[in-house]
Amino acid sequence: MRVLLVEDDDLIAHGIQTGLRARGLTVDGVKTAAQAEATLSAVYCDVVILDLGLPDEDGMSLLRRLRAGGMALPVLVLTARDAVEDRVAGLRAGADDYLLKPFDLDELVARLHALLRRAAGRSVDVIEHGPLRLDPEHGEVSLHGRRVVLSRRELALLAALLHARGRILSVDQLKDSLYGFSEEIESNALNVHIHHLRRKLGADVIETVRGVGYRFSMVNA
Amino acid sequence: MSLRLRLLLMIGISLSLLWGGVAVWMLRDLDNEMRVTLDQRLALSAQMVAGLISQNPAAWDKRSGTAGVATLTGPAAAKGLACQVSSLRGEVFARTPGATSAAIATTAPGFAERAINGERWRSYTFVAHGLRITTADRLAERNTLLRDVMVAAIVPFVVALIGSLMMLWIGVKSGLVPLERLQQALASRAPDALTPIPDTPMPRELQPLVNTLNQLLERMRVTISRERRFTSDAAHELRTPLTALKTHLQVARITRGKEAETALDYAEEGAARLQHTLLQLLTLAQVEGPFSWDDGHSTHADEVARLAMRDAAPDTPERIVLDSDGKPAELALPQALAVTALRNLLDNALRHSPAQHSVLLEIQSAQDTVCFRVYDCGPGLSTEELTLVTQRFWRRGSGRGSGLGLSIVAAITERCGGSLELMQRPAGGLEAKLTLPAAKSAQL
Repeated sequence: MRVLLVEDDDLIAHGIQTGLRARGLTVDGVKTAAQAEATLSAVYCDVVILDLGLPDEDGMSLLRRLRAGGMALPVLVLTARDAVEDRVAGLRAGADDYLLKPFDLDELVARLHALLRRAAGRSVDVIEHGPLRLDPEHGEVSLHGRRVVLSRRELALLAALLHARGRILSVDQLKDSLYGFSEEIESNALNVHIHHLRRKLGADVIETVRGVGYRFSMVNA
Repeated sequence: MSLRLRLLLMIGISLSLLWGGVAVWMLRDLDNEMRVTLDQRLALSAQMVAGLISQNPAAWDKRSGTAGVATLTGPAAAKGLACQVSSLRGEVFARTPGATSAAIATTAPGFAERAINGERWRSYTFVAHGLRITTADRLAERNTLLRDVMVAAIVPFVVALIGSLMMLWIGVKSGLVPLERLQQALASRAPDALTPIPDTPMPRELQPLVNTLNQLLERMRVTISRERRFTSDAAHELRTPLTALKTHLQVARITRGKEAETALDYAEEGAARLQHTLLQLLTLAQVEGPFSWDDGHSTHADEVARLAMRDAAPDTPERIVLDSDGKPAELALPQALAVTALRNLLDNALRHSPAQHSVLLEIQSAQDTVCFRVYDCGPGLSTEELTLVTQRFWRRGSGRGSGLGLSIVAAITERCGGSLELMQRPAGGLEAKLTLPAAKSAQL
């Protein structure tokens, strides 16, 4: 899962980024509303964490503008303002969830997964596809009931393909969900991860659509 | 006592006393007049009888000496009235049926009052042509008449008094209706409602009261919303470093090695920021509150500068350049306040200046003030920002600091009668001019 974190406080942003990465999420951090808008238009994200007190614009008005512009991504608002009016205003402006600072890192992760799950139209967090079972929050994958150990990137790759539900994902889209834009990517890194996934889960798990990208294709292994 | 009751009692009692007094006065007058009038009638009747007799005195002379009493016949209605004609020797020539022989005993002319057969009579005796003519009134009849007249006079009076008291009650009640409406409007408000009282039509006398109340409510609303804003801002300012602290501690727990160490370092930084914000909040509360400072009421300007510089840059003292005019100046405020104000200015200057640049601190003492000027080479502030800097929690962008530093300086200058001026330097950077009052003894 790729998360865009919009938070102007360096200390908090750094903490959240490290914490979410340690929990297997891909995080991009930006500090201003302008950067957030630019990032959202350029790269693919699954979910946005938005702090309301941004230096250049109020987070609420940014959210309203993004929603008016048709952005449908789930947004979790993070704020230190706890008045009921603030929370109501946040939800009305288009937030999907609201978390008050200070928060628990595990709660943040759980809420992000819940948001993504709801956005994907599932009612439980665990994704099952035939014999394959993925628990994104705990990073556990099993095939035919047997536990398969995947690296963080492999897990993110599998989750992205599963979330796409058979749609073809381009190489760029897959890279976006695997790496934050500050991370160095080796040219064949994606191929390596796809190769590993095929080795661990079966060759037919990922179908290469030549010239377009990849898609999840495990019909019935 | 309620206003209505007081009004009712005051007007009611004075009305009753006034009208009662007038009534008593009138009744006494009436009583007197009645008696005089009745006496006059008694005398007139006697004189009238004498007049009648004088037209034919011979008839009466002929009868003189003859025994027997002629009885005058009168209408039955005149039963309270009696008349008797007798000779000067006492022979009775004529009398009305009601009169008794005892009445004759009266000899002296003029008015007399006596009891006959247990009844009191008032008589008038008139002597003329050798005859004594006596007319008499039964007093009981007179008193009945008097009472009737008085009752006739007093009943409308009492009715009018009761009527006016009732009118008074109704008048006071309806006159106080706007007051009652206002009271109900106030009583039915929610305890925390600070909206103005609705502007319903109101008597002229109540308008100033309502206006004053509305002004008070408005002032309270402004104060409360400012305090709420402050509380909310303070919560925000405390939550942010607390969040950093908590998040990094959690990260430290789920990571290992260098990452965990970095997280702990960051957590410590968060704790330091939390501590700083808390201290600043406490200082602001102390400066703005009624607290006293127990470290005296005057302090040396040079000592203040030394302490403030030490606090502002404990590790890099070379970043602050001091330029003092060298005059010994004594400040008329507690040392802690002066040091806090100056240190906050130095903190700001250091924070906003590039690391390799130093900050200049100038001290100039004047007649009764000491002026500290802090020059930095930072980006300075726009004209608009200059008006905002002393607001609590304002800070540019997402800069460091609690956003309270200059609020504290402003609060200190307000408390001790100094001033704070911030100016953009022509060459770039900011000049902060802190003027503090000097102690009088310094000039001696």
